[in-house]
Amino acid sequence: MRRLYIGGLSHTVTQKDLKDRFGKFGEVEDVELRTRRDDEGVPYKTFGYININISDADLKKCLTVLNKSKWKGGTLQIETAKESFLHRLAEERQTAAEQRLPQTEDQRQKMLDSLSKAGVDNFTMKAAVPGTEVPGHKDWVVSKFGRVLPVLQLRSQKGSRARTLKYDPSKYSHNIRKLDRSTADQPTTDQPTPVTQLTWEVQGGDDDISKKRRGEFPPYEPPTRKKSRTDVVNSHAAEGRTRLKQTVDSVDGTEAHQFTNGYEPPTDHRLAQGKGPRLTDSDMDSDEEIRRMARAHNPSHAALRQEEEDDKLEVVGLDYLEKSSRARQQQRGSAGDEEENDYDSADTDELFASRKPPPPAQERLTLPTAEQLAGNDTDKKRKTKKKGKAGEEEDNPADSEKHVSSRKPSSAQQSVDYDEPGSQNQRKKIKVLPVVKPPSSESDSDDDEDDVDDDDDDDDDEEEEELESADYSSDSDYEAMFSNVTRLELSLADLQRLAEESQQSCKTTAPSVLGASPEQETNLPSRPPGRPAPKKGTTPEEILAALMEEDSSEDEQKKTKKSKGAGSAPLPAFQGTRALDDRAQTDECPRRRKVEEEEEKEGGRGGQVKKQKLHSEAPQLNQRATGGKTNGQKPSATQDTSSEEEEEAETVPSSSSDDEEEERMEASRADVRAKAAATASSSSSSSSAEDEQEVISSEAAVKAAPHSESSSSEEEEEEEEDEEEEGEEEAPRRVALGAAEEEERQRKANARRLAAVKQRQKEAEEHKKLIQGALANLDAPTAGAGKHIVFGSDDEGEDGVGNDADKQQATSEVTTSKKTLFQDSQSEDEATGDEAAVNENATTQGKVHLNPSGPQLFGGSENEEDADEEEDGSRFDIRPQFEGKAGQKLMELQSRFGTDQRFRMDSRFLEEEEDKEEESEKKKSVTEEEEALDEERKKNLSILQSVLGSSQQTCSSKTAGRAKTFRDVSALHYDPSKEEHAAFETKSDETKKESKAARRKKREEAQKLPEVSKEIYYDVSGDLKAVFGQTKKDDVAGEDEKTNWDQEEEREDDEEEGGKEERPTLQSSLLFADPGAEKEEASGFKFSFFGDDTETGSGETEYKVESIQAPKVSWQQDLRFHDSSSDEEEEEQEDEEEQSSIAALTTEEETPSKTDLFFFYPEDSRLTEGPRLFCRSSHLEEQREQWEERRSELRQEYRKKHKDARRKLKSSQKS
Amino acid sequence: MRPLTDEETKIMFEKLSKYIGENIKLLVDRPDGSYCFRLHNDRVYYMSEKILKLATNISRDKLVSVGTCFGKFTKTIKFRLHITALDFLAPYAKFKVWVKPGAEQSFLYGNHVLKSGLGRITENTMQYQGVVVYSMTDVPLGFGVAAKSTQECRRVDPMSIVVFHQADVGEFIRNEDTLT
Repeated sequence: MRRLYIGGLSHTVTQKDLKDRFGKFGEVEDVELRTRRDDEGVPYKTFGYININISDADLKKCLTVLNKSKWKGGTLQIETAKESFLHRLAEERQTAAEQRLPQTEDQRQKMLDSLSKAGVDNFTMKAAVPGTEVPGHKDWVVSKFGRVLPVLQLRSQKGSRARTLKYDPSKYSHNIRKLDRSTADQPTTDQPTPVTQLTWEVQGGDDDISKKRRGEFPPYEPPTRKKSRTDVVNSHAAEGRTRLKQTVDSVDGTEAHQFTNGYEPPTDHRLAQGKGPRLTDSDMDSDEEIRRMARAHNPSHAALRQEEEDDKLEVVGLDYLEKSSRARQQQRGSAGDEEENDYDSADTDELFASRKPPPPAQERLTLPTAEQLAGNDTDKKRKTKKKGKAGEEEDNPADSEKHVSSRKPSSAQQSVDYDEPGSQNQRKKIKVLPVVKPPSSESDSDDDEDDVDDDDDDDDDEEEEELESADYSSDSDYEAMFSNVTRLELSLADLQRLAEESQQSCKTTAPSVLGASPEQETNLPSRPPGRPAPKKGTTPEEILAALMEEDSSEDEQKKTKKSKGAGSAPLPAFQGTRALDDRAQTDECPRRRKVEEEEEKEGGRGGQVKKQKLHSEAPQLNQRATGGKTNGQKPSATQDTSSEEEEEAETVPSSSSDDEEEERMEASRADVRAKAAATASSSSSSSSAEDEQEVISSEAAVKAAPHSESSSSEEEEEEEEDEEEEGEEEAPRRVALGAAEEEERQRKANARRLAAVKQRQKEAEEHKKLIQGALANLDAPTAGAGKHIVFGSDDEGEDGVGNDADKQQATSEVTTSKKTLFQDSQSEDEATGDEAAVNENATTQGKVHLNPSGPQLFGGSENEEDADEEEDGSRFDIRPQFEGKAGQKLMELQSRFGTDQRFRMDSRFLEEEEDKEEESEKKKSVTEEEEALDEERKKNLSILQSVLGSSQQTCSSKTAGRAKTFRDVSALHYDPSKEEHAAFETKSDETKKESKAARRKKREEAQKLPEVSKEIYYDVSGDLKAVFGQTKKDDVAGEDEKTNWDQEEEREDDEEEGGKEERPTLQSSLLFADPGAEKEEASGFKFSFFGDDTETGSGETEYKVESIQAPKVSWQQDLRFHDSSSDEEEEEQEDEEEQSSIAALTTEEETPSKTDLFFFYPEDSRLTEGPRLFCRSSHLEEQREQWEERRSELRQEYRKKHKDARRKLKSSQKS
Repeated sequence: MRPLTDEETKIMFEKLSKYIGENIKLLVDRPDGSYCFRLHNDRVYYMSEKILKLATNISRDKLVSVGTCFGKFTKTIKFRLHITALDFLAPYAKFKVWVKPGAEQSFLYGNHVLKSGLGRITENTMQYQGVVVYSMTDVPLGFGVAAKSTQECRRVDPMSIVVFHQADVGEFIRNEDTLT
């Protein structure tokens, strides 16, 4: 059999073609076709190998016939090839096996023979003491039971001292144990192991390191595993082991494993996969292997695959943005990426955290009997129910009832319950998993079954599989979560309910089911059951708390709706959410009522606590939702904007007022606080019903801890809602709510809101007044301290009074200085409107005046009442007295003393002169320095220019610029709004117009040309005399005076024109005016097309153009010759001029032709005159007569001349 | 501390231009204030005018470092960039190389970047072009010189060097005493 290489095939050639082609010469056994492709996948080379049974003669024939023959568009190139390496390998193996077998047989036979000679029969020596050597055989010893065993010389692996180790079996004879020969011999001699089994122990991605990277650490030390894994024979050798049993067990395990490995595809792929990456790198030679490889790359091993993908080098453009945001986006974009990143970041803790949690979730799903799962179950069922299976609805109430009843026991106990199965399952996780797992991927399930088989056998394997299955489970889990999420999106009610139930059972359930991250999951259990106090200290937290409160209040309302059954909206504001609720509630109301009853039975206290818990849950959920994990669940997103506004209008006052009160508590003293509280309560008491509730709540807040306040307020809200709900309970479910009703509600709400706003404004004013009074009293003693240094001057006070006199009257008792202070703070209170006034104050007063920072700060805090952002902004404005440079200095001075009122800085403290001097000095130095720096910079830039110089201009700058501005043309869209895109606009119309206009112009010019020329003509003719005179003078003076050649030319032209003056034709004017004009335009230009004259040859122009002498025979010449006013002196020059002018003519004649008409223009005189020169003017006879006359004359003349010549010749000869 | 001479400036700019090209202009001519290069103890410092003024108060022998050290002139009057210049090189770098997370550590220990560790590379990178090395999360790790052009990088075997190491942020720890 031969293997032939066939090159130069076309890409279309198939295996069958080849087979047919070469079938003539011999039996084609195998055809392999290869196509080499370039980067784009375009095949550029195709060749093949065939295995063919062919005789030498045939081969020769084949080569001669087919080699270098054309076939299907390619020249065949046939060469004998080496054998396929697989084939060769197989053959080698075969031969090796054949050789070895007899050899070993022989040896064995010999050995047996010699042994038998020594009295050993079947490796037993009867009646021999253990330890005796077999005669004739040095390394054979008799062991226990008279068995003859070899003494082993073991090469020690590590020991540097003794290279070999002698193992005498007789010394360990008591541990001996008979071995099954079949297993012992199996791997070595009997038959060659199939290739697939050879590598069964290679653990591609599951080796130690990668395992550790994944955060899975082996429970047992690695060495034992290796021992148990390496070879069965090894464990044989270790007969005397103390851990014999264990090793044997492990041997069994590995055997079992091996078998499965050998014959089951799923494990097989793992082996191959171990080989995978290596093989891809090398050049693959057989299709079979490629196919196997493809099989090996199971989709479940995403990580590995990604690594391989990662191998592909990414090349990015110059304008690649390396912002982390992009990376994050990418990460979010594809789950695969995310995984990859996680994987690569090698943050084992994170990975651990992210990998671990899913199994519990799975477990939860797996344990349907567990009570805690009622929630999840119902959830599931609800989903199905939504799909339309009404039948299951019957189960739901029962479920939930059960669930509700199970609420009574504390959550702690339940969690214990929950933990129990968990701990039980810890070891059997895997067994459980495949059962529950959705049969999404068959390969997975296969693997899992495999896992189950192996589970008990091998610890390491188990671990491995655990890991794998964890992967799978996480995948499936992820899917499950995702599906959950998408479904939950449908209704907020579901979410709420879920929260409700989950908090009862186990805190972990809700978030994990909702697809929350594991960190959150771990966080949740640690959360205290009570409501976390949201209002504490610093402002950002407060804001957060306020937000949370809002959310919680919303949630509260929703929740109570549900828990109380009928579920009516307490506030008309909630339309978006309510709409969502309706959907859910139409289905669930019967059950809800039951739930409600249950809850009522449970009684107030417990229920309240529970609700608080719920609150603590709900905001969290919402927070998470806003975090973006489950966007559909966002309450804020689902709300209508209008309703949101309303909501804000109603909730903000309460929350903000609460906040303010708190702040006040912190800031002011006790009495003030009391007053403030009182005012708050009094003011808010006059507001709407809801506000009343809040007033109570705010009172509570003042009295008690902040969190209790919130809870109480919620309770009250609940109550109120209950009342409302009662009213609406009888009504049909709100699905039937009409649009009219809605509208009405909205209107009501709006009216209420407006009223509330008004009320609030009133309150604010009252409030202000009260606080003013309080503060005035409060500040009285401190103002007394201010007597030591009087900062506020009288005029300031007057100004202040003038400005805000009416308001100051309330506190008229206070001193003027105080007044100013107070005025300032107050004016700031008034904020936006008065800001301008304040500024005016500052400017008119001119002087900078100081205020104690205390009251100022106070004023600032007061500003918050209005909760206007503008005011907030104004708080940070620089105070007028600190404005400007002087102000800055003042501020610095002030800052030395802090806020000590005794050392208030005034403008008097500023030393102006010094300042100025200093400034001037400084300025000088600064300017000098700046100049120096500027110079340096310039120098640097120049150097930079020189450095970059060439490179910048050639490559870097241009390419960079281009690269930056490069746009994918195919992806380019024309955007008319963009200025750059103006380049893409084809200005067809404009150009057309232009061209038209230009054409018209040209035409006009062509027609008007005479006119234009006339002007110039007149111009020229105006000084014609002078020109003539000059030329004459010039000529007389000689040619020493060298003027510009074109000027001269011009003059010459003028002269000519003058000469041609008599010629009245348009043509001449046209011809000569034009060049004149042209020259005038190009007076600075030293190049001329027409011949340079003698004057121009003077060296003024390096560029010489020799004029070709125009033929003098032109038909126009006659005229000119006659016309030219030629003096005898000028004759020579005239001639030259003539020439040049002719040249000019020849060139200039072409210029008009450029416009429209080639050579001629309408009514060209040349056309009329020209033909005349070619036509006979007289008749032929006349001409003949003339000719004859002339002929005789000529003849006479000729004869005469001839005679003369002869005579001359003769005379000369004579002489 | 003195301004750089023309020659020194030229040498330094030539070096810098290998990494950031004509973007040096942005360093020299900054809109947010005047910045300048100063030579001190053979080291080139890049500082703002303000700091420069402040530094005048300190005697030369006591002054350890001012502003940002860009690098130093060797005895043979060559300019060697320090890792401290990375902050200014990274944002303006023209050619970048991203190393895979697995190869990050190796690079940060001062090794060259191998093909196997190369995650991403700017196109059209020429051989021996100065490049800034980033991690895959776009954290600048250091800079070096491209040992292979982008095209070659595609073909080359995984164990060959693609970026010669010049400086990495690991030096902040390794060369803590010499980095000023």
